Formats: sequence, structure tokens, C-alpha cells
Amino acid sequence: MQMGAPLKGARLQKVKDFLLEQSLRMEDDAQYTVCLFDDCDELVGTGSFANGVLKYIAVAEKAQGEGACATIVSELVSYAYRMGYKHLFVFTKPANERQFTSLGFFLMVKTDSVLMLENRRDGLDSFLRSIKEECLGTIGAIVANCNPFTLGHRYLMETAAKSVDLLHIFVLSENRSQFDADVRYRLVKEGTADIANARVHRSADYLISSATFPTYFLKDNVDASVVNADLDIQLFAKRIAPALGITKRFVGTEPFCPVTRAYNERMKQVLPEYGVEVIEIERKDGISASKVRQLLAEGEKDKVRTLVPECTYKYLYGGE
Amino acid sequence: MQIVTMGVAGTMESSDIIVRIEPNDKQEINLTIESTVMQQFGKQIDRVIRKTLEDLGVTSAIVSVVDKGALDCTIAARVSCAAYRAAQRSDYVWNGGTR
Repeated sequence: MQMGAPLKGARLQKVKDFLLEQSLRMEDDAQYTVCLFDDCDELVGTGSFANGVLKYIAVAEKAQGEGACATIVSELVSYAYRMGYKHLFVFTKPANERQFTSLGFFLMVKTDSVLMLENRRDGLDSFLRSIKEECLGTIGAIVANCNPFTLGHRYLMETAAKSVDLLHIFVLSENRSQFDADVRYRLVKEGTADIANARVHRSADYLISSATFPTYFLKDNVDASVVNADLDIQLFAKRIAPALGITKRFVGTEPFCPVTRAYNERMKQVLPEYGVEVIEIERKDGISASKVRQLLAEGEKDKVRTLVPECTYKYLYGGE
Repeated sequence: MQIVTMGVAGTMESSDIIVRIEPNDKQEINLTIESTVMQQFGKQIDRVIRKTLEDLGVTSAIVSVVDKGALDCTIAARVSCAAYRAAQRSDYVWNGGTR
């Protein structure tokens, strides 16, 4: 067995070719890759780890049934724990469900082509239980990064809240943005406290996270045509929306970011099949968080003030 | 022994067991076992794990194990190791303190 991070050149190509034979396409996100060779030095199994996710796992047919998969997964899991990851996910083919449940992973969602599992029994269920609220009327949802929370977000939330009886607002928990996840969550909570039917939650690892939708966090240099948000959307449609009774998902119109736009378009195609309507709300005065970040960097305090709620302004500039 | 972080020990190889121990909000041992020999030895595995934790004075923890047919001594060793790691302690006394 060989392991290392990350592979390059001929060895990477060998792994990619091997995976293609098993009809798996490897992207360039692997942080750590394990390779298994047989006595003749031939590659017979591989698996990789990327941002909390075990993926690109395949074992040649002739090496199956000898614990090869367990060896690979075991090594990846040890690496992940060593690196301080706690909540782990697996992406694999639906046919491998039994193999992975026997390795201590639990099913989250299954599509025709992908299976997603996590290393916590009840992880997703207990997350959903902790935020579920009984409501006889219509329930809506917004998922937003709020980096930072602007008047544009506020307008979207306010407008959405008026058209439903209960509105779940998920603020992304991923710490890969300029503003810290706790700060973003706190500002949204504070800035929507007056909207009686709004509930603000952390998105945990279940909505637009590194695990469910990695390209979202690379959006400055990603071609929108390769945005693969299907897993995230399927997870929302099949597990999250039904459990919470969500029938409307609100999004702001997206004139700037191609990744977000592709994501919204895909949601419009998929979610209605699961009884969730996607409602696009016209963006207020073209306000965007990226514009705010830009003005902030340029020191345009007065202009920032016109674009963000009081709580964000206070956070940015202290309590003046 | 106080569990303060996540501690892991073991592998998923045949005849081994991987043990993950995490802090629990409640004063109880919350144990999940996944085993290839659950039918035959499930109760025995459960007993060995709980006894090992009790001997270490661990009373509150979330414990998840994936067992691939480990012997009792292996189970006890992996559980102890994971517990010490989760308690961030390295003062293990080898050989019962005798030489």
C-alpha cells in the first residue's frame, strides 16, 4: 500500500485511468490518496480524501472480497481523524451501500448515480429534529452565506417571510468566507429578530457545505458548466425539505455569480419534482455582499452604511 | 476519566476494531456497535467495551465502534487507547506498574 498527498504526474494519471475504467471521474480536489498494489505492482485499488469526504474509491474486480476496500477506507479515516476532521462523509456508487454500512457509515441520501453516507448514526436526523417546528401553514426556506449580512438579504428574508407561515433561514456554517460563520449567524439572527415567523439556523454540514457542494467555495475560478450541485439539491429535496415540511425555497435573482446562478437554475429543474417550489425574488437595488466587501476594502464607510442593516454596520465599525 | 475531545484507535482491517470516543452531554455511555459477528458475539463485545470503560472510570461518552471480528483483548486495548486519547492523557501505566 502506498499513500500520499496529493498525487501528481504519471501516478495521478494512473489512478485517474484506473478510476475511469470503473466509470468514476476524478477531479483535482484530493488532499490525500491511497493506492493498493498487488504482488506484480499493479494498481488494484484506490481511494481519496477531500474536505471531509472520502471519495474516488474503487477496487479492481480481481482484488475484491479480500478486504481491500476496508484497508483503503481505514487508512483514509485515520488520516481524516489525524487531520482533525470529525464529521466524515462518503461518496460512492449506490451498489456499494452494504460495503460502506459495514464500515460504520450511515446512509444520508441515494440517487441513481451517487450514494452519500456519514460517519454518525442519526447525524442528519438529529440535526433535523433539533430544528423541526410544527406548523400547519406553509413553510419556506432560505439558504444563504450572508458574507456579510446586507439589506439585500434582509429584503429577501422579509419578503419571503410575508408569503409563508414559517420561514427557516439557514446560514452557511462553512468557515471558508471572509466573515466567520459565528459572526454571520449572529448578525442574521440579530437582524431578523423582528420577523416573528423567521427561524435562523446554522446549516451544519448539510446545506451548501464543502461536502455537499464543494464548487460553491471555489466560485471565483470555476466554469459554471461544471458546477455539480446535484447532491446538495437531492439532499435538500429528499431529506431536508420533507422532514421539515418545506414547500417553498426562496432565492434572490443572481445577476453576478455564475455558480450561484447555475445552482438556482438546477434547483428550479429538480425541486418541483419533489413538491418544492423555487421562488426567485428580485434582488433589491442590486445590493450584493461582494459589493459590500469591495467597498469595505476601499474604506468607503458611508457607502457601506447604505447597504447593510444596523447590526452589520455596528459589527464592522464598532458601536458608533 | 473525563472525555474532553474525540479519540480514535484501531483500524477496519480483519480481526481488528476501530473505536471512536467522544464527549457526551449526558452522564451515560452511548454505545453504537457495528460488527461482522454481531449475531454471534454482539453481547460479548458490548460487555467488554463497557467493562473496559468502567475500569477506566469513564462514565460519560459517545462510543462508536466498527468491529471486524476482534478478540476481547484487542477490543479492550483499542478502547483503552481511544479513551486515553479522548481524555488527552498519556499517563498510562504499562504492565500494571510492575516490571
